[in-house]
Amino acid sequence: MKLLVVEDNLELSSDLVSFLRENGFVVETAFTLMDAQLKIYDYTYDIIILDLGLPDGSGLDLLRDIKKQKLQTGVLIVTARNAVEDKVTGLELGADDYITKPFHKAELNARVRSILRRKNFEGSNTIQHGNISVDTLSLEVSVDEKCIDLTRKEYDLLLYFLYNKNRVLTKESIVEHLWGDHADQSDSFDFIYNHIKNLRKKLQVAHSNCQIQSVYGMGYKFSKK
Amino acid sequence: MYKRSIKLLTKTTLIYLVFILIAFFATAAFIIERTNTFIDEDTEDFFLRRERRVLHYFQEGEIDVDKIRGLKRIESINDTMSNSYPKYRDTIIHISQMDVPMLFREKTILINFSNEAFEYSMYKNIDEEDKFLQGIMRTITNTFIVLALVLTIFSLLLSGVLFRPYNRMLSLMARYKVGKSFNPELVKTSTSEFQRMQQLFGTMIDRIEDDYRKLKEYTENMAHEMQTPLAIIHSKAELLIADEGVMKNYSTIVKAIYDEATHLSNLGNTLNLLTKIENGEYSNVEKLKTFDIITNHIEAVLEMFSLKGLQLEVNLDPNHSINLDPLLFDVMLKNLLKNALRYATTDGPVKVFTTGESIVISNFGNPLPFEPSKIFNRFVGSNGTKASLGLGLALVKKICDLNQLSVHYNFNERQHIFSISECQA
Repeated sequence: MKLLVVEDNLELSSDLVSFLRENGFVVETAFTLMDAQLKIYDYTYDIIILDLGLPDGSGLDLLRDIKKQKLQTGVLIVTARNAVEDKVTGLELGADDYITKPFHKAELNARVRSILRRKNFEGSNTIQHGNISVDTLSLEVSVDEKCIDLTRKEYDLLLYFLYNKNRVLTKESIVEHLWGDHADQSDSFDFIYNHIKNLRKKLQVAHSNCQIQSVYGMGYKFSKK
Repeated sequence: MYKRSIKLLTKTTLIYLVFILIAFFATAAFIIERTNTFIDEDTEDFFLRRERRVLHYFQEGEIDVDKIRGLKRIESINDTMSNSYPKYRDTIIHISQMDVPMLFREKTILINFSNEAFEYSMYKNIDEEDKFLQGIMRTITNTFIVLALVLTIFSLLLSGVLFRPYNRMLSLMARYKVGKSFNPELVKTSTSEFQRMQQLFGTMIDRIEDDYRKLKEYTENMAHEMQTPLAIIHSKAELLIADEGVMKNYSTIVKAIYDEATHLSNLGNTLNLLTKIENGEYSNVEKLKTFDIITNHIEAVLEMFSLKGLQLEVNLDPNHSINLDPLLFDVMLKNLLKNALRYATTDGPVKVFTTGESIVISNFGNPLPFEPSKIFNRFVGSNGTKASLGLGLALVKKICDLNQLSVHYNFNERQHIFSISECQA
């Protein structure tokens, strides 16, 4: 999978590139609008991670170019402006999703994966890890080919873990992923423990060889036993 | 500021009238004093002539007490009595021929002649002089009354005509709102003070607009530009979180950096939102049917309430509506529910209900540790913790204030109750 990260801040761009490469993507970078425009004319990308505030123009102009060229590229808008109008304009112009700075990298990964899945770039609807298999089309989860019954939140949680396996996921990141804009409603994120506990139990009962480990004070990590 | 205000022209007229009153009384006092002096001198002159004539009779030896009116013999007199002469008094005497009472001045003198003492009383009619004085007083008083009336009528007429441009300028100024495009018409006036005021008004608007623009840019730039460094801090903290070696020794520090960066980002975004609301940038007001919006919102957060052991009691009127920008209603609702979720105790349910006029959200909880009147102030209830920004209820209040909505808080039977309704026109 080939990604283009359009971000003018070198430090942030470098962090994103490292993170995405660790997750198995081929990543290229562009620091300006013009740079990005040249790259999309010359190369094909599966997904463009696009910061809207670029030094020589707005990322929305690149979106217009992509639309004009009728490219099949998925676009994930990254905006520092937590403003409805930017998000709405971006989505209207054909962006697939948006994420607001500062973001959890696990969330970025999940969003990228989600776009890839929706556009069927990965060629399969199944995500496999250990003996767990998730069909993202039928929303079915099975362990050793035996279906297990999960609630919607547990399903989303498992998918988030699968996208970010072997990585510590903070409670904040999990709550933001599961509750989106409503994530800040609660003053404590400890309530997700219930969902973790239930998911753990269901995976254990199904004899999964994957586990959800607690990382004290930080969050949780999903990995093979 | 004074509780009672008074119009400038009325004030000027009143002050003018007071000055005129003082001037009139001073003039009246002067005229009366001069007139009295003249009358006294004239009367005294008359009495002296009479006195000389009587003394002349005495010198000629014609002392017949009965023949001279007003003359009488005094049998005995001491020093004290003799020092009390001459005596003056004004008295009313009824004139029988004319059948009218008249004012007379009486002067009584002591005449010592050939070891005998006589008392002689003389009278001078001063009725005319008195009437003359009263006439002066009447004239002055009437003139003052007429002048006061004329001045009052004149000031009333002037306030309509002379102050018309001024009032027009005031009504134009009242229409001015910061950040809204405003090109007031030029009010025509030949009064230099008003021209100056109009000029200053224009300069003032330009300056306010300029300051407003700078502040807006500053706030937006701050909110925008700080997000990238915060994203980098976040990203670096996540790198450290992923490193087991680092986390073994420094997990608390790394988590603190991570949390504070999130808190700062949220704070910046919320302050920016508050500024945008204050600047009236969300003005897409429409009549919102609240039933579906509140239901959807509650569905999204229901789990959070139940996970905290809180019951939600919802009773929504399907016909309830509110005139508000949808985004602002969302912000308002979210913050009220967030407040309930954060501070509710499990002593009773969190209630959300709408009636024909209002939305009421209540929760059981402990009494406020501060004055209830401060509940909508910024950073009052947060106690500096990162769990709460301390801006939620300030946002609710700001939204209500700018959209003709009223928000009320009260604490009753251990329940914190917030109600929102449209202001009565």
